[in-house]
Amino acid sequence: MTFARNIIRVLAVIFLGSSLMATAEAQSIKMPPHEKIVLKNGLTLLLMEKHGVPIVSVAALVKSGAAADPVGQEGLASQTAQLLRKGSKKRSAQQFAADLDFIGGSFESGASADFSIISVEFLTKDLNKGMDLFTDALLQPTFPQEEVDKSLAQSLDGVRGSKDDPRQVLNAYYDAYLYGGRGYGRSAVGDEISLKKITRDSIAKFYAANYAPGNTILAISGEFNSVELRKKLEDTLGAWPTKAVAPVAIPATAPAKGKRLLLVDKADATQTYFAFGNVATAVGDPDRVAIRVVNTIFGGRFTSMLNEAMRVESGLTYGVRSSFDPRKEPGPFGIYTFTKNDSTVQAMDMALAVLHKLHKDGISAEQLASAKSYIKGQFPPTIETSRALAERIASDEFYGLDDSEVNQLEARIDAVTLESARQVIQKHFPEENLVFVLIGKASAIAPAVAKYAERQDGREITAPGFWPGS
Amino acid sequence: MKRVWRGSLLTMMFGVLLISSASIRAQETQFPVATKTLKNGMKVLVQSDHSIPNVALYIFYRVGSRNERPGTTGLSHFFEHMMFNGAKKYGPGDLDKVMEANGGANNAYTSRDVTVYQDWFPHSTMPLIFDIEADRIENLSFDPAKIKSEREVVASERRLSVDNDNGGLLDEQLWATAFIAHTYQWPVIGWMSDIEQWTMEDLKHHFAMGYSPSNATMVVVGDVSSEEVFQLCEKYIEPIPAHAPPPPVTTVEPEQLGERRLVVHKPSELPLLLVGYHVPQSNSADFYALNILRTVLFQGESSRMYQRLVDKDQIALDVSSESDSSFDPALAIIVAQPKQNIDPAACEKAIYEELERVKSTPISDQELDKAKNIRLMEFYQQMRTINGRANTIGTYEVFFGDYNKLFDTATNYAAVTKEDVQRVAKAYFGANNRTIATLLPDSEGRAK
Repeated sequence: MTFARNIIRVLAVIFLGSSLMATAEAQSIKMPPHEKIVLKNGLTLLLMEKHGVPIVSVAALVKSGAAADPVGQEGLASQTAQLLRKGSKKRSAQQFAADLDFIGGSFESGASADFSIISVEFLTKDLNKGMDLFTDALLQPTFPQEEVDKSLAQSLDGVRGSKDDPRQVLNAYYDAYLYGGRGYGRSAVGDEISLKKITRDSIAKFYAANYAPGNTILAISGEFNSVELRKKLEDTLGAWPTKAVAPVAIPATAPAKGKRLLLVDKADATQTYFAFGNVATAVGDPDRVAIRVVNTIFGGRFTSMLNEAMRVESGLTYGVRSSFDPRKEPGPFGIYTFTKNDSTVQAMDMALAVLHKLHKDGISAEQLASAKSYIKGQFPPTIETSRALAERIASDEFYGLDDSEVNQLEARIDAVTLESARQVIQKHFPEENLVFVLIGKASAIAPAVAKYAERQDGREITAPGFWPGS
Repeated sequence: MKRVWRGSLLTMMFGVLLISSASIRAQETQFPVATKTLKNGMKVLVQSDHSIPNVALYIFYRVGSRNERPGTTGLSHFFEHMMFNGAKKYGPGDLDKVMEANGGANNAYTSRDVTVYQDWFPHSTMPLIFDIEADRIENLSFDPAKIKSEREVVASERRLSVDNDNGGLLDEQLWATAFIAHTYQWPVIGWMSDIEQWTMEDLKHHFAMGYSPSNATMVVVGDVSSEEVFQLCEKYIEPIPAHAPPPPVTTVEPEQLGERRLVVHKPSELPLLLVGYHVPQSNSADFYALNILRTVLFQGESSRMYQRLVDKDQIALDVSSESDSSFDPALAIIVAQPKQNIDPAACEKAIYEELERVKSTPISDQELDKAKNIRLMEFYQQMRTINGRANTIGTYEVFFGDYNKLFDTATNYAAVTKEDVQRVAKAYFGANNRTIATLLPDSEGRAK
């Protein structure tokens, strides 16, 4: 086992990758050219040739994610995506695995709140086999009962196991409590209660209702000939029958008023994991670049205000970050960290003090210049691989963003001023209205943390689900 | 999914198994690497790639927890943290502030064998990066206040990745049981009592022992020319004097003569099982055959262990194997995540039966080809970023003695036969050579 110096950078990368924070960068780096074709059946096809590495990366985005799960069947979109490869009209699950592994291919599928995504890679020399496997899974899954049973049982234990490590479930508890168990507060992977309600029938129905060419964006990047590939795809995916899909309605949630706190008791915890913040911005917010710049300064890098105070100067934690997770509707903003049991109050006080300082003092010209250089300098590797590019153009297309997110990023960063930063802080960083979630040893910390909120809720980590109302 | 290695960054899993099959096109595994050995002994390797305007710079020091002793375990890792806490020109906090203000970022990791520093930056920042690196290699300072706060940071890291992480906890217990003589027995992060007690003198001693330029290898990949890198090296790094390398680690772990077993009881939703087998160091001739064996057994949903434990018997959520790059004989570890209420012994039994099967009957030609194809794909996935290439070139140079061996992997894997795979299965995966670590959930506080 190796131990790294900091987790901030990795967290930041995960954050950017998953939230698609609608930014990008630099005159020196441009989005590689790609073409958009809408097939007759409505399928949106994005093709980007990128030569140098003999890999083809495929990202299929289906515009229905966990937010489309029926209430009480959270995890349905995830199960549907995971089961695509587990049996088709052509192959059993075992045959699919054997064929995929034989070409060294990878196949990952799952659902986020806003969409489902299937990400496949294979070597260019295996283009035909790889595309055959991909289209087989996307177009002809049969969801065999035996495979459904296995998948549900595994996911159920997966949720249970994740509760053994608070780091893995802090976000799930935070989102659930922040959104009151509605909308983005429902677990994308499901929980111990909802997974038991999912059946083969509900999975097949979810597939039938949501997997359709007009509801799908297919992005392919890597080493291939786009003229030849396009022809092939018109023959295969072009034959996917058209079908109307009802758009997913996501209940918009206004930011919480006042302060409330959930304490999740884990009796053997030696440190407290906590998150706090509020509902924040949606993808495409006109302030998105300024928000990114300010958040970089506040909690988005190693020398951020939060990490300087809580790690570098005081040693209270191994790492602290803040992040915005914009989605189709307003997503969460949170400050996330952990500290040993007996420094819980000290750490929470300090995080709040740093947030207060951001509001009171704003940022300096020096901090602003530094963050601008940092974001510009660290951007290019985030679109270095064909896989990153395929996933990015698919999600940009979904969210209605264009290549200016990359091509104009540098100019947009340069346009951020101390004044626009000040406005962004007032508008987008919560201060008075905060929702807190703590996972820790309740017997050691409960009385001391009561001061943070008028309203307090509590539950055992062993209790099923993530929302106190569940 | 529980994995022992979750949470550790840039773990050199599989020791960077650069694989390939006969189908690899020669030009794709060949790219020019310029090399230069500085007068102080540091070797520098440069690979130019102008596809993005960025650079990845790695410095590998051949010092890790393997070079420690009881009482100061974890010192290499703690020292790695201190390398960011101030030198002569760049005082406490300056390194990160200056680097980030100029578009750069950094990290570092420590393993049992090496301590590795990583910088990622736009090309224009390179002279600054060399100035920073030279300053801390030559003039690191030891501020008592920083030692105090950094000690707390590392304690927090240990609580995160060991105390509150079942995989990390069990892994630590496994190594401590499998090794009775060699220094691989203690954890890289160190025992908590050592974290609390090491002194400034210990830090200074560690610096003097491990940080001679002659004990380091630098790899630079990205938007650079070898000429400019070598010029910067001559200016900033070459003047730093060399001194004696760390004393050799001479203890040889005696052959294990019988199965060892340990149990951890902990409030937990799920049990956990690790089985560790002693295997040779990375530069062993059996390296390639062992990797093919592990691929056949563990990689992909068509692998033998997945098919058996996860798909057919349905007793595990996940089964995998891990093996770090190492200078000395280390462990190949099988990780099985049993389902709730499944006795880990059931997973053990299935694992042993599958191991017996590869020992008694050679794998099929199809499995051998599949394993080579999987390795080929991994190779490209590792090599497609400037960061992955810097890590890979450095790993080959440091653990295999020559980065050029990276280009021989096609040949080396092509040479592996079914019989080789069967032979290494028999040689290393026997009962006497294994240590079993089991985490059993305490009934108290456990949900039903």
